Amino acid sequence: METRFQEMKRYARFGQDDAKLVARTKAYCAPHFTRIAQEFYDRIREHEDAHAVFTGEEQILRLQRSLVRWLDRLLAGTYDESYFGETIQIGRVHVKVGLPQHYMFTAMTLIRSELDRIIVANGGDAATRDALSRLIDLELGVMIEGYREHLSARIHAKSEHANQELTRTLARTEHRYISAVELAGVLIIGLDTTGAIRLFNREAERVTGYERDEMTGQPFIATLMAEDVVPTDGTRVARALAGESLDTPVFESVLRTRAGNLRDVRWQLAYAPADEEDEVVLFVMGQDVTDARAVEELARQHEKLAAVGTLAAGLAHEIRNPLNGAQLHVSFLERALKKAGAATPEMNEAIVVVGEEIKRLALLVSEFLDFARPKPLKVDPVVVQALCHRAVVLLAEQAAAARVQITEDLPAQELVIHGDSSKLEQVLLNLLQNGVEALAGGGGGHVVLRARRQPRVAVIEVEDDGPGLPRADAPIFDAFFSTKANGTGLGLAIVHRIVTDHNGTITVESRPGRTRFRVTVPLGNQ
Amino acid sequence: MDQGPAPGLPRPRILLVDDDTRTSRLLAHMLREDGFDVEFASNGAAAISRLTRTPMPDILVTDLHMPDVDGIAVTQFARSKEPLLPVVIVTGHPNMAIGLGATLIPLPVVLTKPIEYAKLAEELRRVSVGIVL
Ligand code: HEM
Repeated sequence: METRFQEMKRYARFGQDDAKLVARTKAYCAPHFTRIAQEFYDRIREHEDAHAVFTGEEQILRLQRSLVRWLDRLLAGTYDESYFGETIQIGRVHVKVGLPQHYMFTAMTLIRSELDRIIVANGGDAATRDALSRLIDLELGVMIEGYREHLSARIHAKSEHANQELTRTLARTEHRYISAVELAGVLIIGLDTTGAIRLFNREAERVTGYERDEMTGQPFIATLMAEDVVPTDGTRVARALAGESLDTPVFESVLRTRAGNLRDVRWQLAYAPADEEDEVVLFVMGQDVTDARAVEELARQHEKLAAVGTLAAGLAHEIRNPLNGAQLHVSFLERALKKAGAATPEMNEAIVVVGEEIKRLALLVSEFLDFARPKPLKVDPVVVQALCHRAVVLLAEQAAAARVQITEDLPAQELVIHGDSSKLEQVLLNLLQNGVEALAGGGGGHVVLRARRQPRVAVIEVEDDGPGLPRADAPIFDAFFSTKANGTGLGLAIVHRIVTDHNGTITVESRPGRTRFRVTVPLGNQ
Repeated sequence: MDQGPAPGLPRPRILLVDDDTRTSRLLAHMLREDGFDVEFASNGAAAISRLTRTPMPDILVTDLHMPDVDGIAVTQFARSKEPLLPVVIVTGHPNMAIGLGATLIPLPVVLTKPIEYAKLAEELRRVSVGIVL
């Protein structure tokens, strides 16, 4: 019997000759694969729904490699059962990550026109172009199969569900309860005695990104709770399921969404004993507090800063005046000793030390003022590539002295944000300098300055391969926290302030061998 | 002295205004050694009364924050007599000095405390070169 793939090939009239024609293009197409993969994913970055399926920059890099392998395979010339078996697997991967189907078409069009252009440029004839085009149609058709499977599975599940509904005549009061559950602005999830999901309201769908019919029957703890909290909070849920009464029925925990993002949720558990096995026995109700947390944190920071700000100006004046006196007296002393011919090396050394200490105090005062009383932003369009490059140039000398190599990893397409270029430069200089200083002690190393476009933000990362932060949870963005012997403890607090003043975010990830600061700033057209 | 104005030229006359007399006296001493003539006023009022007499100073060096009459007022008075008089404002509040001084034309030079002596002397020498004594 003819298989489904054979049938599709026959319909597309794709035969041995076509396969040979396609395979012949590989020699001149292959050098372009990496570039095509790059452009392919650059395009994805511009679309929020498509980009949302990604969990991080590493995944994107992995996918670029997958795409290069896929191109290699596409032009290999053998299109048998196992070839299409693989294609359908690739299709399923996309269904699983929740990529809307129409992106497959547009993405494939990009690949088609890139390859076509290369074939034309290399003198390929009409038959070759046509063969490739049909092969790509086949590939797309097979990948789309995954979506059809998914849809029929859902329709099946739905109709089963509808049947059950019919057999139970719901009283009107029950309808009201259902609306209440559906319209509630809290996640309401009902679990049966085995911990499987039986009820999943609209808010739960919204926050998790999963649909009700795919969640029905799934284990709540393993599917929705973030791995790290399963041992603690998962146990709590399991105990509640067993009917144990909890001393703290309200708790905060971390939920993992379909796209792999983490959300802070405040949960409340309510146990309702039932007779039947598949009845809901535990209601898990939750509120997404992720954004509220961020706002609270910001308010706390601003409050602290306002109080500090009123003190700052007066204090600066009180400190700078005596420093001025001290500085001039030291200059006088230096001159007097020289004139009298009485200066010994120790004396000169002492004078240098005092002078340096005065400068350090003066710097502290200046940084403190910058931090507590920042000047308003001067916002203009800023080209990220130019910004990054300037920062690297400014730091080149210091980096070379510390035997640190700074590498720029910037996108080819111009990336524009709205911001205060001198303040953003200060951010980059500060972060790069931190990286260089972190490496200087160990006799050198590498710092990478990376920029990427995402749908709504530019991401700038500064990464070093130094020893890492002493503690993962060190409050490094707080004022007066410093890990450096000579630091004022204000550098990163200022950086944090500048970034948040730009409506951006800054985070850090650190382990021995890699410390990465990640700054996001909204794109210029937002 | 190598930091002073060109030898052979008349010594530029500086009026130094600061309420920190101990430090200013020292500063005056060093500037004199470096070839400047320095007069000293320990508050704004004293500076203004000095400015009503001739000869006018060639350069005014003043603190910003002083009780009653501040550095901006002294500058305004001096400029009413000598519209192009070079002025150096020394302050612990550089932003405030730049803000307040923005209406003064020509703009005063603003130095942040703690000042480095060498930098101040350099600035004064630079300014005095442009003056026809
Ligand atoms: C039509 C053109 C496309 C082709 C040929 C293609 C090819 C591939 C291949 C070969 C893989 C690896 C599958 C595996 O690991 O078994 C993959 C995975 C993936 N693709 Fe695509 N892809 C296409 C479109 C897209 C689009 C438009 C997106 C949009 C975001 C996307 C997102 C992903 C994701 C998120 C995964 C992977 C899962 C992971 O490894 O973490 N793909 N793709």
